[in-house]
Amino acid sequence: MAAMLTLAWVYLQIGMMFVGGGYVLIPLMHHLMVDHYKWLTMREFLDGLALSQLTPGPLAVLATFTGFRSAGFAGALLATICIFLPCTLFMMLVGRYYERLKRIDVIKQTLDNLMPAVVGLIAAAAWNLGAASLSNIKEFAILALGFVIFKFSKLSPMLVILGAGVVGFLIN
Amino acid sequence: MQNATKAIDLREIFLTFAKIGLTGFGGGMAIVALVERVCVKEKGWLSDEEFLHGIAFGQILGPFSLNSCTFTGYYLRGVAGGVAAAVGFMLPSFVIVSVLSWLYFTYHTLPELQAALKGTNPVVIGLILVVAVDMGRKQIKSGGKLLMALLAFLASALLKYNSALILLAAAVAALGLAIYKREAR
Repeated sequence: MAAMLTLAWVYLQIGMMFVGGGYVLIPLMHHLMVDHYKWLTMREFLDGLALSQLTPGPLAVLATFTGFRSAGFAGALLATICIFLPCTLFMMLVGRYYERLKRIDVIKQTLDNLMPAVVGLIAAAAWNLGAASLSNIKEFAILALGFVIFKFSKLSPMLVILGAGVVGFLIN
Repeated sequence: MQNATKAIDLREIFLTFAKIGLTGFGGGMAIVALVERVCVKEKGWLSDEEFLHGIAFGQILGPFSLNSCTFTGYYLRGVAGGVAAAVGFMLPSFVIVSVLSWLYFTYHTLPELQAALKGTNPVVIGLILVVAVDMGRKQIKSGGKLLMALLAFLASALLKYNSALILLAAAVAALGLAIYKREAR
């Protein structure tokens, strides 16, 4: 029970820090799940990120995966509810007061100022994950290929991830 | 902000968003565009202007895709509508990821799956890099913002500070700057 409460509280906190789009969750959850609570290994975290790309839902379904790891199906359900609770409540508040909120430009300005830090953290997440998981030239080549495909083609991430899985299976 | 003229069935709200959540591949903006097409254009549940006003705040906290669903549901039927839309949209992904997680944690020691995942890991890092580059080009438009991005990067990548703390510190700085700019005007 205490473990479930901790789980709920951790995901609620992540839900409250979930600003400026889903990708901020990569540095946040990497830190909390892998370094701090050690609920996942770094490999599992990366695999969970790949799995989260296979659904229509937001990247935040990573919470479902990490919750499942900690406490099975109940953990997955609890983690998913808790990570989305703050933004769902927030959107309903916005829905109620948006006529008045339109004039509060401080919120928009703050988000605008905060976004560069989010970008820095995401870049750092790529750096930290890469430094810890890439070990040979083959993997760097796959990374470069993935980068080029995501950057310059309109292929859906789902297909690219599945394709990478097939390539990995064939060459390893 | 409820639509008083015709109350829309909660079940219809739930099913509409469950369908979006099941078929709306592409994530983020692609989902928002799909919600707009279905709810504004096809069903006429709300006007384009109301939809745009509502989702103007959808990028602050949480995923843009889910927020556009929650807002539309709330607009139609209050809290119950908002919850029905949010749960409907998330349910398909939740079920898919739960099943995939179960398969993964049951079979991830199989050498075949290990080999496949060795191929996906670098690609996931490539995806994160592309996001950082694209967001950076969109968000970093001044020297001050570049400095903010660099500080956050260095604090996390080299000094290994806690990302939650970095984000919190950056939020305080961002709010302070926003207030300062407003006072200065």
